[in-house]
Amino acid sequence: MTFDSGMPLVVELALFALAVVVLLMGIAGRPYLWQGPRSGPVGVAGGGPAGKAIGWVALGGLVAIFGLTFLATEGGSVLRGSFVQDSLAIFAKRLFIASAALSVLGSLTLPHASFSRRAGEYHFALIASLLGMSVLASARELVLLFVAFELMSIPLFLLTGFLKREAVAPEAALKFFLVGTASSAVIVYGMSFVYGVTGSTTLDAIPAAMIGGHPLMRLGMALLLAGLGFKIAAFPFHMWAPDTYEAASTPFVAWLSVAPKAAGFIAIIRLFVEGVGSAALVWMPAIAVLAGMTIVMGNLMAIPQQNIKRLLAYSGIAHIGYMLVGLAALSSSGVAMMLFYLVAYMFGNMGAFLVVEVVARSEQSDGIDAYRGLAQRSPLLALVMLIFLLSLGGIPFVAGFWAKLYVFWAAIERGLYGLVFLGAVLTVVALYYYLLVARRMYIEAPVRRDPVPVPGLLRAAIIVCVLGVVGMGIYPGPWVAMAMRVAATLF
Amino acid sequence: MNGVPILSVMTWAPFVSALAIMFFARRRPMLVRWTSLAGATVSLVASLWVYWAYDRELAGFQFREEIALVPSLGISYLVAVDGISALMALLTSIIIFSGVFASWTVKERSQEFYALLLILVTGVYGVFVSLDLFVFFLFYEIAVLPMYLLIGIWGSSAEVRPQGIFGWAMGRTGVGTKEYAAMKLTLYLLFGSAFILVGVLALYVATGSQTFSFLTLASMEFDPALQTWVFLAFYIGFGILAGIWPLHTWSPDGHASAPTAVSMLHAGVLMKLGAYGFVRLGMGLLPDAAVDWAWLVGTIGCINIVYGALSAMAQIDLKYVIAYSSVSHMGIVMLGVATLTPNGLNGAVFQMFAHGIMTGLFFALVGLVYEKAHSREIFKMGGFGAMMPGIATAFTVGGLSSLGLPATAGFPAELLTFLGAWSSEYRWWLFPGVLGAFLTSIYVLRVAKQIFWGPESADPHFQNLPDAQGPEWAALGILVFVLVLFGVAPSLAIGPVDTATIPLLFRLTGQ
Repeated sequence: MTFDSGMPLVVELALFALAVVVLLMGIAGRPYLWQGPRSGPVGVAGGGPAGKAIGWVALGGLVAIFGLTFLATEGGSVLRGSFVQDSLAIFAKRLFIASAALSVLGSLTLPHASFSRRAGEYHFALIASLLGMSVLASARELVLLFVAFELMSIPLFLLTGFLKREAVAPEAALKFFLVGTASSAVIVYGMSFVYGVTGSTTLDAIPAAMIGGHPLMRLGMALLLAGLGFKIAAFPFHMWAPDTYEAASTPFVAWLSVAPKAAGFIAIIRLFVEGVGSAALVWMPAIAVLAGMTIVMGNLMAIPQQNIKRLLAYSGIAHIGYMLVGLAALSSSGVAMMLFYLVAYMFGNMGAFLVVEVVARSEQSDGIDAYRGLAQRSPLLALVMLIFLLSLGGIPFVAGFWAKLYVFWAAIERGLYGLVFLGAVLTVVALYYYLLVARRMYIEAPVRRDPVPVPGLLRAAIIVCVLGVVGMGIYPGPWVAMAMRVAATLF
Repeated sequence: MNGVPILSVMTWAPFVSALAIMFFARRRPMLVRWTSLAGATVSLVASLWVYWAYDRELAGFQFREEIALVPSLGISYLVAVDGISALMALLTSIIIFSGVFASWTVKERSQEFYALLLILVTGVYGVFVSLDLFVFFLFYEIAVLPMYLLIGIWGSSAEVRPQGIFGWAMGRTGVGTKEYAAMKLTLYLLFGSAFILVGVLALYVATGSQTFSFLTLASMEFDPALQTWVFLAFYIGFGILAGIWPLHTWSPDGHASAPTAVSMLHAGVLMKLGAYGFVRLGMGLLPDAAVDWAWLVGTIGCINIVYGALSAMAQIDLKYVIAYSSVSHMGIVMLGVATLTPNGLNGAVFQMFAHGIMTGLFFALVGLVYEKAHSREIFKMGGFGAMMPGIATAFTVGGLSSLGLPATAGFPAELLTFLGAWSSEYRWWLFPGVLGAFLTSIYVLRVAKQIFWGPESADPHFQNLPDAQGPEWAALGILVFVLVLFGVAPSLAIGPVDTATIPLLFRLTGQ
């Protein structure tokens, strides 16, 4: 069965349905919400099993919808071309949904009582945000793009502050909220200029206006780039990332560190690359500078971090810089390599965060000192973490190596030798802080000797990530071919 | 032997034995050792066969194997040897074979130790035999990375506590500890590999012919500007591994902190990887830049020789003396390469081999002395010659080779290099070279006299120390034998090497 071009919205409709189901289940599991607070003991009535069930429904739904994306046909569009289901959109949706499923798998075993009590809210917000991303990936119209952005962002603020009784969560959520809304305002402001110049809100009008080179058009696009820079946490728009990561629950952060950034990149591709052709080269210096600064600052700021989530946050900023290197090439291969990088980053980064969750649960600490002697306590867990770190560091035979290699390659084809050189040297800095973690795991003596318990569901999620990292590392061919195919349609 | 992929057997045998160790030899230390030895033996036999069967009349690259890996990008598993790489592969085999014996006594986590060591060796072989630049780079990374764990876990922190400003620095940053050394070494070498990667990618894109094959790239003429900067990138990238001044500082720290077999392998073989890569890629692919920049390479080589020797003289930790002597001797290699003369280049390659064996022997001996006497502090030890005559003899032979005494492998190497320097464009290069040989005799003989042949130390710790035992003899015997063999019959090495260096020089200078 395939869906004809009349039904490109099928993924979004399914996500919406899933969100509603999850929300209703959540309400049904907490009778006091509609019967008044006195009617049952708070926090117990709809607790444990119902919370778990909601999580499983969400997970099952996401897996089903992931399968659905393989049935969707490319090329459909509705709403007079505002919403397209092209290969880039489908690629992005798969990435979003797969990462969300991994995150849900990781959060199913979260020990906090509030997660099972408020599972309905949690999963509803998550799926709503996912719906926003999904629409965003298909949006070919400024207003729809903006609405999708907001639909994606607002639940994220909520989810960041989900553990509202912990001291840091509301603060991080507020910070994220302020930065996020400010960036949205910048985006809208930029859109207004673009609209003013083109007289149209569809993205089809952008290439011609870009070639025209109207100064207000440049200003509008620059504002858009800055606003999207906040979303992808590129330097100097990155400040929200470390605090947010540190405060939010780790499986959620694993997703937060991948999916919204990927969405930001998709938006950038739609605005700056798609159909623009060689006129986009005007933006090459700007993107290259943004990439260079992001790589340098992300890597340097990661060095002194003592908290692994902050370390991964800063290293994530650096990775955004590497993706921008691929984008800076503004060529078909550059965009393809950036998409490849996104997939490699998803597996490597989510895997690392999930291991962080495992260790944090056992040690009650996110400090990198909690990893002391892990190799002697749980050799496999340490090995897996090492694989993730090496992948993030860009070492051969794991996914991250090919990702870095390919973006460098694309940039060299455009003659961006300086940028590639900078990126290559800064990978050494990145390896320094990754090796500091490896040193704690492998070289330093353990404080305790008992193995670290790994909950079964987290283990499953981690195994998926390891398979992804190693599979892409050993046999990158099909992934590259896929990314190339997606990127080829944009030019 | 037609049809047997002999180079692949040589390259992958250690890797296979590493896998066998990881999976089948858990908590069985003797099985670990015998499996490692088996892997090393297969490689040794294979490399001896390759060296013997290499057809000197035919010259060029032989024993070729090719499997396309990623056809769309032009990446293939292309391996072959010429005279230089055959000799280097032989060196690797000898060092790892004796290294397995030399680390027979590793007790802690020996399973992982041997596995990592053997994986590293596969990387080394791979670099020497692969002709596909991409695969070359992959092997290069395999050869570098396990070092972090090998030094970090099984290494030893500096024996002699530094004083003054270095003492303060140690307290602040951990200078001299094994963790510091491991991190420093790894980061330096990865820094170098970043340069190499950018250079390789630039060449690949410049050809536009979608291939990483060395043979294709070598037949191309690159634009002079591109040649210059890629050459300098290769010089820095490979030069870091070859220990060129002032980027050598990872080497003394790293080699002094590493466990015995790793020091042997790293100083003996991995530093040669740098020089080999420089000759193969830097000179082989970028002939014009290599000629233009020879003055820089040779001059820095001279600085290396003298600076390394002077630094070695100042050390009071035995292992640091040997480590700095490596810096000095690698200077001779780079000097010989830069002369762009047949004698100089042959001398450089011969020195790579001779120094590999010699420094392997030295580090094995330092390890043995430390194991028996639990000291590396030169001026505390004394009169060991009477208690451990075997070790003392081996050390003296190594020392004499180090200062270039005839009938040891060091002599033809240095002689050829100096002849080359004299006939090169920059005759004055000869003087720092000879000065270095002179300084070498000072520090080597001083150490030999103090530790082995001088008056006995009164320290009660140093009484009734045993000589080398059992497997340890194997390591010493093999290395001393090779050192003397190639000293007496240098043509064993010069023959095949000549077949590779003459065409290379013809390409560079037209002579």
